[in-house]
Amino acid sequence: MSIGIVDVGIGNIGSLRNAVLSQGWDVVSVQAEDDLEAITHLLLPGVGAFGAAMEQLARAGLVEPIRRFAMAGRPLMGICLGMQLLADRGAEGGDAAGLALIPGQVVAMTHSHLPLPHVGWNEAHQLRPHPVLRGIRDDIDFYFVHSFRLAAGDATAVLAETEYGERFPSIVAKGSVIGTQFHPEKSQTNGLRMLDNFCAWDAAC
Amino acid sequence: MPALLSPAGNLSRCSKCGLPETYETLEFDTQGVCNICRQQEFKHGAIDWAARKTMLEGLIEEYRGKYDYDCIVPFSGGKDSTFTLYHLVKEYRIKPLVVQFNHGFMRPNLLANNERTLRRLGVDAISFTPNWKLVKRLMREALIRKGDFCWHCHTGIFAYPMHVAIKFNVPLVFWGEPSSEYTAYYDYRDDAVEEVDENRFNRFVNLGITAEDMRGMIESDFPLDPRDLIPYSYPPLRDLKRLRYRSVCLGSFIPWDVKRQSKLIMDELGWQGDEVEGMPPGLYSYEKIECAMQGVRDYLKYLKRGYARVTQMTALDIRNGRMQKEEANKMIAEWEGKKPPSLEVFLDYLEMSEAEFNGIVEKLVVPPHKPDFQTIQWGRRTPDFERWYREPKN
Repeated sequence: MSIGIVDVGIGNIGSLRNAVLSQGWDVVSVQAEDDLEAITHLLLPGVGAFGAAMEQLARAGLVEPIRRFAMAGRPLMGICLGMQLLADRGAEGGDAAGLALIPGQVVAMTHSHLPLPHVGWNEAHQLRPHPVLRGIRDDIDFYFVHSFRLAAGDATAVLAETEYGERFPSIVAKGSVIGTQFHPEKSQTNGLRMLDNFCAWDAAC
Repeated sequence: MPALLSPAGNLSRCSKCGLPETYETLEFDTQGVCNICRQQEFKHGAIDWAARKTMLEGLIEEYRGKYDYDCIVPFSGGKDSTFTLYHLVKEYRIKPLVVQFNHGFMRPNLLANNERTLRRLGVDAISFTPNWKLVKRLMREALIRKGDFCWHCHTGIFAYPMHVAIKFNVPLVFWGEPSSEYTAYYDYRDDAVEEVDENRFNRFVNLGITAEDMRGMIESDFPLDPRDLIPYSYPPLRDLKRLRYRSVCLGSFIPWDVKRQSKLIMDELGWQGDEVEGMPPGLYSYEKIECAMQGVRDYLKYLKRGYARVTQMTALDIRNGRMQKEEANKMIAEWEGKKPPSLEVFLDYLEMSEAEFNGIVEKLVVPPHKPDFQTIQWGRRTPDFERWYREPKN
């Protein structure tokens, strides 16, 4: 198994890389289409604005290759902004098209009377089981940092929800694609277990 | 709310099993019953043991035949690891690699048991004995720091087999008894299988002292090669995860019944119990027969916490409905708190006087207990006393 991490300047990959290494997996940096050939699983981390991140992916020539990777049934996991990029469109930094792998739009969290960004530990209420959630108890806390949220276009793609002034999807999945609004690499035991489960997942579900 | 006062001392005790407040992780509820009694009630009532057995079978089949060995069984030769080995070999026809960490004080009866068990079961075994000079230095340091000289043994027993798992590329490791049976570090009520991993190692096996800490504590006066401490260090997580290791207790999958299991290994393997210092001969003769220094360990516990293993063993029996509290109290009064003859041997090894020993212990007493060094009498020697290793007299 060889785990690719998209590394085109849209996320801090250090802690994610260390987290995956600690679980015994080998990590490959993915900067161009060719890098996708040798890997079994792809992690898409991200921080910053939706539009700018999609531009970076486009500049690296990775938008279509990542879409093809996922459509071929190979496991892809988006983290934080990386999860939001899986959606159809995003509003952060101007309206932009996403990877369109999970139906929905990314919108600002406006209903909240609570301060933004939403930073810190919060519970993920699981709605349905998934191999990547194996051994992770319901209502466990994960670490979040975000001001935008996914407005899911397909309720069956939502694996877990979290409450922060409003209820939003914190884990989504469809086919061989999964995404977490929180940072599993910063979420200690349960986050590491999730990453480990992802790396062991054959996406044959 | 404090539990009933026992006639044996001034400590609060569980109204059901009699364990005192100085017992690690112990808490009493409003009825004065301890959390270990409560989780035991859960173990008997709410765990689906049939489902656990299916989990065990699944686990064994997942690893069977894929490596040089199906699993590793860390083995002291005591009742729990002997039963674990017996059960896995007889019930599941598993091919194990038996791994023994020799702490340095294995008693003659234990060695005879081990040879008999390994021959009768027909299994491969390796034994590892660490540097004796270092062992003595580690014992002295752990005694001074924690009042518990067994650091080298506890860390070695739990860490060394994991190194062997990596070296032999065998991911599945089977320990015996889950810690929930005796303490509340892990709780049966969580309904999760306890992983014998680095978290558990750091939580209570290593007394809060890592091998790296130990290095700093002893290297100024001991000719230490940093590699000397590898057997006492947990291997890097990445190496274990690469192996896709699973390190679990057989007792997480089958209800652990020490008396039944001890009888079974006696009948089937000719395993023999032994007399242990400070314990009523014959009654718990299957318990803690592995180490010649067990008497010193129990004596230390008595000095620090005001109870020793008679209290602990009778609490287990009371909890399981096998003994009345009055009978237990009588036995505790007669056998507990005697000075073990092994203390003389121990002090010899560590080149320490009894006054120095008592001085160390005094600083580590767990309140509200107060030991009375003046009134303690010598206990009786076990029959193998003369056969224990002694340092040459200069």
